[in-house]
Formats: sequence, C-alpha cells, structure tokens
Amino acid sequence: MEKARISSIQMFLLLSGFLFGSTVILAPAQGAKNDAWLAMLLGGAGGVLLMGIYAAIASLNPSKTLVDILRERMGKVAGNIVAVLYIWYFIHLASLVLRNFGEFICTVTYPETPIVVVIGLFAVVLLYAVNSGIEVIGRISELLVPVIPLVVLIISLSLITVHDFTAFLPILENGIAPVLKAAFGFIAFPFGETVAFLMLFPHLNKKERLTKIVVSSAIISTLLGIMVFFRDTFVLGSDLIAHSTFIPHLTSLLIPGLNVESLVDINLLIGGGVKVSICVYAAARALSQVAGFDDYRKLSGAIFTFCVVLSIWLYENVLEMFNWATSIWPYYSVPLQIVVPLLLLLLSSKKKNKVSKADMKS
Amino acid sequence: MINVVVIFIILVFYDFQKFIRKKEPVRVFVLYSFFMAASLIVSLLLAAGKRPSSPSQWIEAALRRFGVLK
Repeated sequence: MEKARISSIQMFLLLSGFLFGSTVILAPAQGAKNDAWLAMLLGGAGGVLLMGIYAAIASLNPSKTLVDILRERMGKVAGNIVAVLYIWYFIHLASLVLRNFGEFICTVTYPETPIVVVIGLFAVVLLYAVNSGIEVIGRISELLVPVIPLVVLIISLSLITVHDFTAFLPILENGIAPVLKAAFGFIAFPFGETVAFLMLFPHLNKKERLTKIVVSSAIISTLLGIMVFFRDTFVLGSDLIAHSTFIPHLTSLLIPGLNVESLVDINLLIGGGVKVSICVYAAARALSQVAGFDDYRKLSGAIFTFCVVLSIWLYENVLEMFNWATSIWPYYSVPLQIVVPLLLLLLSSKKKNKVSKADMKS
Repeated sequence: MINVVVIFIILVFYDFQKFIRKKEPVRVFVLYSFFMAASLIVSLLLAAGKRPSSPSQWIEAALRRFGVLK
C-alpha cells in the first residue's frame, strides 16, 4: 500500500472541499424552492449519519481501503465485481463534476471557448496533482479550501444592503413532500459521494479522530450550504431562483459597484478540483488493487482521458445535465452510497463481535 | 477528426514508451489500451457528429425498466 500520510486538518479540508465541490455553484435542494433550507437541514442530518457509517466502516477495518474491505467481507470474486462497479461510479462522478465545471465556465466566463478545451486543460492540471500523490492533494487543499468560505462570506456581506429577509416565507407552502424529496437528493449529492473517501481514510495519521473529522466537515458544509441558500433567496427571491441556472453566480453579479464574478469561478475551481482529484485518485487506486499492481499512477492518465471524453459524451446540453443530476442521480447512487456500505458495516461488525468473543474465550 | 487522432497518438506514444522502459506487466497494457480505445472511439464518433447513446441514457432506461423511475 502507498505509505502516504495525511493529517487530521488535511483530511477535514479535503472532505470539506469535496462537499463544497459543485454545490457552491449548483445550489442543491433547489426542488424544494422556499423550503430548501429545511431540506438541507434534514438532508444534512442524513448526510452526517451516512458519513458516520463510512467512518465506522473505516474504523472497523483500519488501514484497509474500500477494495480490501470488499474482498475481505464479500469474498474475492464478489468483492472484485463490486469494486469494479465502484471504479465506474468514481469515474462517472469525476466526469459529472468536470462537465459541471465546463458548462459553468463556458456559460458565464468563456462563452467563445469550446467546452472540451476548458475541461481538457482543467484535467491536465488535475492529472499533475493526482500523480503527485495524496499528500500533495492534502497540502493543496490546506492552502486553497479555506478560500471557499471566505469568498462566500465576502459575497454575502457585500450584498447585505440588498437583502429582503422575508423572501424565504411562507414555510411549507407546497407541503412536506417536495422537502423530503429534495432532502433525499441532498443526501446523495454531495454527502453520499464521500464514499470515495473509503479509499483515502487509511492514509489518515490519527485514525481515532476520523469520526470527529467526518461529522464536523459534514456539519460545516451543511451550514455553509444553508447560508448560501438564504443569501441567494434574500437577494434574488424564490421566483428568480426557480428560473436560474447558476444561482450563486447570478447573486455575485448584483453586488453594487463591485465585480466579484471571478470569485465564484475560483470557488468552483478549488471545490471541483478537489472533488475530481479525489474521484480519479480513488478510481485509479481501486483499479490498481483489483488488477494487482502497486502504482496507481500507471493508469491515471488513461482514466483522466476517459473522464474528459465521458464528460462530453454524457449529456447533449446543460438542461439535460441538470435534469439528470436532480431526478436520476439520487436513485442511481443508492446501491453504492447506501446499500453496499450498510452491508459492509453489518459484515464488519459481525466479524469484530466474533473476534472479541473468541478473545474472551481464550 | 484529425486533431483527435493526433492528440491520442501523442498521449499513447508518451505513455507506452514509459511502460516499455519500465517493463510493465501485460495487464497494464491491456487496461490502458481499453480506456484509450474506448475514449478514441467515442471521441471520433462525437467529432463526426454521430453521438452514440450515452451511459446516462442507459442508466435512465435501466432505472425505468426496474420501475424505480416512472
């Protein structure tokens, strides 16, 4: 196994950067309209629980990656088959984030540039980061991820004079059903996607702090998401939000006498960069373990090339991308984000109980 | 179309010479070739304006068939 070690703060920032990822420009839980804050609160609670499950799996199987755990608990053949599904899932997720990034940049910043050029150049930079190793990605996140909440704070404070603090009322105007649906979507995107971290948790230097790190990053990301929602709603109103594509970007355009548009681009560059790097790293590591060779770097270039092509191939346009992300992604993700991890937790706990009983007898 | 082929030739040439120099096992060549071949085929089809049905559409169709989506 790679001997890289990352500190608690680096893991916390990697998780936070991953969770902010595309959420800083895509405004999740948008389906609940005015009540999105409620959906985020419920989804955030579910997300904390789900990420707690991932942390528990990692704690029960210290120093083991997702592929090791799958092989050990499900047997070599079944474990390898499920691992291949996870490899596909990580590649698919990386492609989705690359496409989000490309669509955003080509819609608001570089409308004349072909999307494949934007995505390709971004991928080249990220390939360099992934090939440099997880320690380097951790250090980069230490340097850059704190910029994300800072930018959110700058934009929020700059807009304080144009706030309408009653814009989120009335509460539960359309009933509880859209809130629950949006909350479920918010669990799958972004919290459930952190299943990729099961490939990274073995690198944490102080494993006893894992649960604390995971829970605190989930809570902070939820609070930041709610803060962004309130800011956007107070400034734009729910009707305009319902008809907008990139809501935080639109909000940033409304700051009187100041152009901070590029700060939103920077946020996506950092968050999206962390997310794609983690996904490709997880996919490359998992593939190298399944195929039985040591160095994940051998295939990272090929995986990145495939991700770039897949990101262009997946959707015909931005509307198809949004529709797929909100209505299909949560259901498609359930088996890999919830069902398999729950099964692994069950099997790992059972094994641990057996071992402790055997120890007591002897 | 030619641009796509040229980019792939450069990428494959760059990586293959590293693999040969380090005497990588066959499975590395096989997996690398699989990803690059799939990427090249899809890229050429996209460049020719003949977009094949995407994995997103396959997944959506599968979820509808299983009754997860209406």
